Amino acid sequence: MTANELNAFEDEINAFVGREVCPPTPAKDDVNTAMIRQWTEIIGDTNPAYTNEAWAAKSTRGKSIAPPAMMYVWGQEGFAVTTGRPADAQADLVSLFNKHGYTGVLGTNVKQEYFKEVSPNDNVVMEMVIDNISERKTTGRGPGYFFETLSTFTNQHGEKIGTQRFKVLKFIPQEQPAAPAAEDTLQVPTRIASPRGHDNKWWWDACDAGKVLIQRCKSCQTLRHPPRPMCGECQSMEWDSIESTLDGEVLSHTELHHPKIPGYQYPLVCAVIRLGEGTNIVSNVVGCDPSAVHIGMQVKGKVEQVDEKTMLPQFYPASSGIRS
Amino acid sequence: MSDHKTLGCAEISVGDKLPSLDIDITTGLVVCGALATRDFEPVHHDKTSAVATGLPDVFMNILTSQGLMTRFATDWSGPEAVVKSLDLRLGAPNVPGMVMTMTGAVTAVDPGTGVVEVEVLGENNIWGMHMQGSVELALPKEA
Amino acid sequence: MVANVKDKAVIVGIGNTKFSKESGVSELSLAVQAVKAAIDDAGLKPSDIDGMATFTMDTNDEIEVARALGVGELTFYGRSHYGGGAATSCLHQATMAVATGMAETVVVYRALNGRSGHRFSGGVAGDITTADAIHWGWYMPYGLLTPASWVAMFTERWMHNTGVTKDALFEVAHSTRVYGANNPAAFFYGRSFDRAEYDAARTIASPLQLFDCCQESDGGSAVIVTTPERARDLKQPGVSVRGVAQCAADNQEQMTSFYREEFAGIPEMERAAENVYAMSGLTVDDIDAAVIYDAFSPIVLWQLEAWGFCGNGESGDFVLDGALRTDGRLPTNTHGGQLSEAYIHGVNGIVEATRLVRGTSVNQPAKDVNHALVTSGVGIPTGGAILGKMN
Repeated sequence: MTANELNAFEDEINAFVGREVCPPTPAKDDVNTAMIRQWTEIIGDTNPAYTNEAWAAKSTRGKSIAPPAMMYVWGQEGFAVTTGRPADAQADLVSLFNKHGYTGVLGTNVKQEYFKEVSPNDNVVMEMVIDNISERKTTGRGPGYFFETLSTFTNQHGEKIGTQRFKVLKFIPQEQPAAPAAEDTLQVPTRIASPRGHDNKWWWDACDAGKVLIQRCKSCQTLRHPPRPMCGECQSMEWDSIESTLDGEVLSHTELHHPKIPGYQYPLVCAVIRLGEGTNIVSNVVGCDPSAVHIGMQVKGKVEQVDEKTMLPQFYPASSGIRS
Repeated sequence: MSDHKTLGCAEISVGDKLPSLDIDITTGLVVCGALATRDFEPVHHDKTSAVATGLPDVFMNILTSQGLMTRFATDWSGPEAVVKSLDLRLGAPNVPGMVMTMTGAVTAVDPGTGVVEVEVLGENNIWGMHMQGSVELALPKEA
Repeated sequence: MVANVKDKAVIVGIGNTKFSKESGVSELSLAVQAVKAAIDDAGLKPSDIDGMATFTMDTNDEIEVARALGVGELTFYGRSHYGGGAATSCLHQATMAVATGMAETVVVYRALNGRSGHRFSGGVAGDITTADAIHWGWYMPYGLLTPASWVAMFTERWMHNTGVTKDALFEVAHSTRVYGANNPAAFFYGRSFDRAEYDAARTIASPLQLFDCCQESDGGSAVIVTTPERARDLKQPGVSVRGVAQCAADNQEQMTSFYREEFAGIPEMERAAENVYAMSGLTVDDIDAAVIYDAFSPIVLWQLEAWGFCGNGESGDFVLDGALRTDGRLPTNTHGGQLSEAYIHGVNGIVEATRLVRGTSVNQPAKDVNHALVTSGVGIPTGGAILGKMN
């Protein structure tokens, strides 16, 4: 792009500053307890100002309020966005950026200010403008421009209840090297796998195939786990294996809280389980609240894929009726 | 906050730490958080769309992050606190399987207005900073 | 058969570095500082050292420590395996070397940047490259990969079997921290601690909470062991090794011996205790104070039972009677233990047990301490020793 072309492009984008993205539009639904309750349940917010009418009536406010962070929620367009957004100034600006190679998009900052709380039966009216566009910047993501929208919220009485500034970077994605560096490959870690050697590979291979095997001495038939190259009872090195039915009983358990290890999903319960065949195995107990796990609990195991790379036996309460 | 007590501005000093909070990022939280904030962008509920943007799975929408940040602040302050502002810088996405740990400390106290500013950091255990910013709360002068 | 090495080796010097969360120096620096402090305490010169004993986990090669200190020739070096189980095993090695004449003066040392460097709480995943990895592989995929998680698994079952409650765990955590709060060298120095803080702290791996766990630390500790003949000429009153033993029991794993018929127990420590008593000719009644390995609070309780201070399942009542306190039956972990002084893999415990016999602990009990017990970590091959005044 020549200097002249760049100037022309910048004139074009700068013309968007001050343009209206949406005129003042009342939310389709008034502020209401159903949406507030759903939001608080999912966010895990037990603030009684939102959902405890009795408490709220006696509070300084005298009534319940909507969570302030829901301010933008009331005016959201809804499910229609799954098939695309209607044309507006912001969409036009974005497509102008895209046309010139600034296809990358990254929300970088959002700031909300609240001037007045809202309560059920209030209506939130939102308008949005494109407030400013930065000079061309060199960023870690590539060269680009920040643009900021300013949304202003009023209630049904025309009182200003808050504002939101949302800053977005539109950038030219940098060419990726053929083999991206490790830190650039976005992968969610998986569980730490066991290394596989002569004495245990066969067990983990069977696990990958959905089976939990128990090593058995060919000479004296003693079962052993974890696998070892020799039988401690008769010193035979000949062995085969049987497949466990994964019926078991919890001998002990612990719920792991800290540290949270990347690749593991919490809550996480580990247990020592005595299998019906008589050997013990360490595994996870899943499918019930961690506090329900107890010594003596009957469990039933099932080999499952627990993440992208890992097959493991997982034990459920036997009462859940799961089949291995 | 089962006793619903609210901190008074006079009880608070710059440097006070908020109790840290671990949030398990699950598919349920990501998808349902998007639903609860009426954010139906497919990247928040449809793994195929999320993967097409270069991420391994659906990722948390901003409105859910904003909700978690105010919850973190008002869990500490108590329910009579009035949230005045919420300012956050966005970092790495929150993707299922991660755990986000939120920490915070008081950075300013204005005894005149009762407004305190709390600095908050939400870091996930895989990619680090998910959000960083501040919440301003107006508190009663005395508890 | 019990080896007869009673009173054939004497602790004549002890040394600790400063304990911290970030030493800012290498582990080798910590090791040589600790060893030098012990040499100075004994009134020896580096060149008097001719043997060394440390942990397989220690990163400081004997020859590097020797070169850095100017020790010169070594005629004995032996390492002990199994993490904190090696604490008194190193003393065991040193005692055997001195008793047999393989060396005259052996230094036991352990130095680690356990907080600023490799952290145990990070689990076993990253840096295990030995055949050990196969063993950890039976636990890592499920998330059972930190010391706290392994100990938690034993604790849950042991509490279930015995009915011992968290009241007893708190008593261990609390009595130890009362000592630590009075020890200027301890992390916990000057701090207060109560049940409310204990209960409010986060859970690490149920049933263990934060204050049931030791603190990762940077630091080094060392003790010098020599012959009784040599000891008589030195600066400090000698502290004699009356008995020392190590044991790996049947069906033993490192921290995960879950395959025994009843796994909530430490048979390896019971056997080590039996051997130490037999070697020393002493009984449990002869022990006046103790340093009991306390990476986690419940493991102190199990060891009290293994050494016979109370019956099996009775350690809860034993400690709730105040036994571990300064005026109790068995003042224990008077330095603040690893729970609140520092976690130097139990070697700071040998230092403290030596002080107890010398009469120089910062929390020295009022009564005479003729014999002090010191133990290694449990859940692994382990051991212990009884120290007494040199005759």
